[in-house]
Amino acid sequence: MSTAPATLLEASDIGITFGGLKAVQGLSLRVPTGALHGLIGPNGAGKTTAFNLLTGVYQTQTGSVTLAGTTLSGKRPHEIALAGLSRTFQNIRLFGELSVLDNVMLGSHLRGTHRLIRTVFRTPAFVRQEEAMRERALELLGIFGLQGLAAEQAKSLPYGDQRRLEICRALATEPKVLLLDEPAAGMNPSEKKSLASTIRSIRERFGVAILLIEHDMGLVMDICEHITVLDHGQVISAGTPRFVQDDPKVIEAYLGVVEEEGTGNGERGTGKASLGKASAG
Amino acid sequence: MGYELLQILTVTIAVGSLYALVALGYTLVYGVLKFINFAHSDVFVLGAWTSFTTAVFLIATQGIDSANPPWWLGVLVFLSALVVCGGVGYCIERFAYRPLRKAPRLNVLITAIGVSLLLQNVGQITGPTIARSEQGSPLATLPFGATPKRMPTLLPEVVLNESTLAKGQAQGGAARGVVVLDQQITLEEGRQYRLAITRMQAGSDGALRTIRESLSLAVESGTYAAGTELRTTPRRTPEELSGATYELRRGPRVPINLIDVIIVVVSLSLMVGLQVLIYRTKMGSAMRALSHNVETASLMGINTNRVISFTFVLGSVLAASAAFLYPMKYPGLNQTAHGIWVLLGLKAFVAAVVGGIGNVRGAVLGGFLIAAIEFFGAWAYAPLRDVYVFAVLILVLLYRPNGLLGKAVMEKV
Amino acid sequence: MKTLAQHTKDVPASRAFRPAVVFLPWVACVAVAFAVQLVAPALFDDYWVNVLRRVGVFVIAAVSLNIVNGITGQFSMGHAGFMAIGSYIGASTTYTGSLLLHGSVGDDSFAVQGTMLMLGGLVAGACAAAGAGYLVGLPSLRLRGDYLAIVTLGFGEIIRVLLELTSKQVDTADGARANPFAAFFSFNGPTGFFGTPAYASNFWIWLFVAITCVVAYRLKRSSSGRAFLSIREDEIAARAMGIDLTKYKVRAFVLAAAFGGVAGALFSHTGVNPSPTDAGFQRSFDIIIMVVLGGLGSISGSVLAAILLVLLPEMLRGLQEYRLVLYAVLLIVMMLVRPQGLFGVKEVWDLWGAKRKARGGTP
Ligand SMILES: Nc1ncnc2c1ncn2[C@@H]1O[C@H](COP(=O)(O)OP(=O)(O)OP(=O)(O)O)[C@@H](O)[C@H]1O
Ligand SMILES: [Mg+2]
Repeated sequence: MSTAPATLLEASDIGITFGGLKAVQGLSLRVPTGALHGLIGPNGAGKTTAFNLLTGVYQTQTGSVTLAGTTLSGKRPHEIALAGLSRTFQNIRLFGELSVLDNVMLGSHLRGTHRLIRTVFRTPAFVRQEEAMRERALELLGIFGLQGLAAEQAKSLPYGDQRRLEICRALATEPKVLLLDEPAAGMNPSEKKSLASTIRSIRERFGVAILLIEHDMGLVMDICEHITVLDHGQVISAGTPRFVQDDPKVIEAYLGVVEEEGTGNGERGTGKASLGKASAG
Repeated sequence: MGYELLQILTVTIAVGSLYALVALGYTLVYGVLKFINFAHSDVFVLGAWTSFTTAVFLIATQGIDSANPPWWLGVLVFLSALVVCGGVGYCIERFAYRPLRKAPRLNVLITAIGVSLLLQNVGQITGPTIARSEQGSPLATLPFGATPKRMPTLLPEVVLNESTLAKGQAQGGAARGVVVLDQQITLEEGRQYRLAITRMQAGSDGALRTIRESLSLAVESGTYAAGTELRTTPRRTPEELSGATYELRRGPRVPINLIDVIIVVVSLSLMVGLQVLIYRTKMGSAMRALSHNVETASLMGINTNRVISFTFVLGSVLAASAAFLYPMKYPGLNQTAHGIWVLLGLKAFVAAVVGGIGNVRGAVLGGFLIAAIEFFGAWAYAPLRDVYVFAVLILVLLYRPNGLLGKAVMEKV
Repeated sequence: MKTLAQHTKDVPASRAFRPAVVFLPWVACVAVAFAVQLVAPALFDDYWVNVLRRVGVFVIAAVSLNIVNGITGQFSMGHAGFMAIGSYIGASTTYTGSLLLHGSVGDDSFAVQGTMLMLGGLVAGACAAAGAGYLVGLPSLRLRGDYLAIVTLGFGEIIRVLLELTSKQVDTADGARANPFAAFFSFNGPTGFFGTPAYASNFWIWLFVAITCVVAYRLKRSSSGRAFLSIREDEIAARAMGIDLTKYKVRAFVLAAAFGGVAGALFSHTGVNPSPTDAGFQRSFDIIIMVVLGGLGSISGSVLAAILLVLLPEMLRGLQEYRLVLYAVLLIVMMLVRPQGLFGVKEVWDLWGAKRKARGGTP
């Protein structure tokens, strides 16, 4: 990273409250072209909510979001997708009844034209576009090693493949910035490893900037250049992985959670364990 | 016109409180299960059918004088509606909805439509006769059947705010159907008048019996001197009227019927009872917990199945109460399933949505509001009566999708 | 990686235009129409030939409803309302048109022109229904499933009430000429609209059945169809993928309504008098059951279910009184046992072609 690249996605001071709960508050982010940024924080910190604000699922109550100079806040989700922001979901949201291929083809829908007359009469323009969508989809599936499953119903895929398929579908929208919400959740260590290299290669190959939410600290520390840490809806730290890792506020946020939870659910414990692993590695 | 509007207001209050009762059922179920129980309006219809069938059956088999029904007849009829509707409500939840608790919304919606269709159409089948008239013609069948019926009178028709204008001695005129009074009377425009007649008549065994009956005066407004022949319905012969005493009763400008008062009193007590149940009892707090978050509630040791069943039964019982009261006011049970009756249920649904579904107070507010729109709208232009209600539904959903008192919920992503 | 736009340009012309795939289905439509028209009278008596017309009408109704209820997953319960609009507009076009042009209705000498009028009425009915579909589709954007169901139910009821309020039918040429516009919309109130000649032979009906099926199937197997299906599967994900929900929901409603209007217009030309109760929810339920039984999203499933559910009560006469009870039980059992319907989102032929090559595009 020599000279600072131009800012692609910028959120300034965005926030939302749900009936008194400040889920995200005064969040500012800056993702430069081609960057690989991480967004971490304990459970319930507001990471997914931040994604929802960026992609227009929830309307921001404060602040604004811009992508390559155009304002996104106030726009509807499909307009934001068209502007070049695409995402995956923490709780996978594929089109379960559709085939794997159809899922990816749907991703490129927004880049096409869809006239009813053309559709009904199967004009050459329609067939051309349909063929192009299919080819692109197969090519993308190939990148993720899913081409053999193209005809399967999306819901019948194993969990890891579903996560990959979601990334594939998001890439089909030709995004400028890709938002990944816990892509490694539920994967085993070797799957995680290959996911890490896939994420890196996506960035090279598609020239997209990536914003990544992930609980696996090893993965985040490994591949991200810059990390923002959220807790209770607020940014508590931001900087390089090394800086963030050693920031006492971050450690406190994670350890505090573990203490609080004590006998509680094990899920939160992974925060601490992974952090430890990251420091070690 | 002013009196006319006041009359509409009394109807609005009476029918509105019935809508509110049914709307509460929609809202309660929505509160705990977050889905609209389409079959609820049919439970209401079922309640009316049950009331009718029980009433006719008891009158035919227990030798009840249908003109003077004993007080316990109404109570038994009411109980039968409660039991049948409560039971059916329980079964609907247990056998149709519970297996689909985790299914996609669309499937639950279709099932609800199916249950609704089932109740409507089972009721329409003309089953074996269970009560016959003395001449042997069938009065009630089980199931209800498709022919129009008329609810027997369970309560004498009483206008509470009637006053006595004159009293005295009456006699028959020269012909049948005419009465002659012993004093001058003045009848005003826009009021109902009736003669309460007390006379003696020999029964079939020869003994004299006192007969009290009500004749309405079929004459125009104006002043009539003593001795004028006044036409009446029903028509009585001079012999029947000889020696009769009369009381001229003047109807109010805005009549308040006993049945309206009963409807409002019963409905309001049920609503108050419901408030107490929801906010003061253990079951109520379990219901509230469930409506907040089913998973958390079950983690906290609440038996969700029991609470949901209870809610269904509660809603059905409220619908049954409305269904018992409604035909006492409007006894025509014609066009049963396909027409007016299902529409009634749907209006209650609209009431629940307009008030804010899931919100108990909203349902009550919505009930009165929808009744007001319906009856004042009908006064303005009667044929569009149902159109007003649905138009309001569409407007509310467009501009206040969560209803008047409901609060916005955002789907978690 | 190339963008979609570049990719589209690079598809060779040889793959962009395959005449057989493009034209054969239309030829098949005409063939089906002729086949039914010619073969049916040879096999069945007049009664059953007539039943066949009714079957065709309901196939169109079910397939069109499937576009919005099945493929797009927006549960409309007002389809009978759209059909009724088509019915009345279609019937009145032929009836009032005959009065104006010929002076009387149903003359044999006027049959050809009358049939032309019917086709005009079909188009008019489809357009009117589509307009209504647009009006109903707009609020649907704001409503979740069960609310939408109720609103569409209310829509059907409103149509019914409005039809009941129409004035007495104008049945003389002079009357029609005096005020053609008023005559056209005099739908005869609660009694229903009488005297429309039965111009819709099996040929016309089955021609439109086939056209409806081809259009519906091509829609389903296209980028628009995928957009419809994605809305049904997951609205939030669909939006995140750039699908304009407004546009596609309204499209689905308008298309379904238009074909529903065609079904209605044809129906009123089979010797059945349209009446306001046709717009009510009983008729809507009948069609919903066909769609659910056949499979939400399955075009061929809807066709089969419609055929079955029209023929069944005809064959089992004693069933009439219990027909609706049976349908209701069917609906509930279906949801408990096989919620996706007989064929789910698949087509009949997908079942035995089970795992063919990956296909997501055109047929
Ligand atoms: N639609 C909503 N309505 C009400 N509260 C919400 C909503 N969405 C999120 N929240 C609340 O906002 C807070 C932040 O949630 P969010 O899902 O953003 O956390 P997160 O950082 O993604 O956590 P996790 O690591 O578990 O995914 C949580 O307390 C959550 O319950
Ligand atoms: Mg999250």
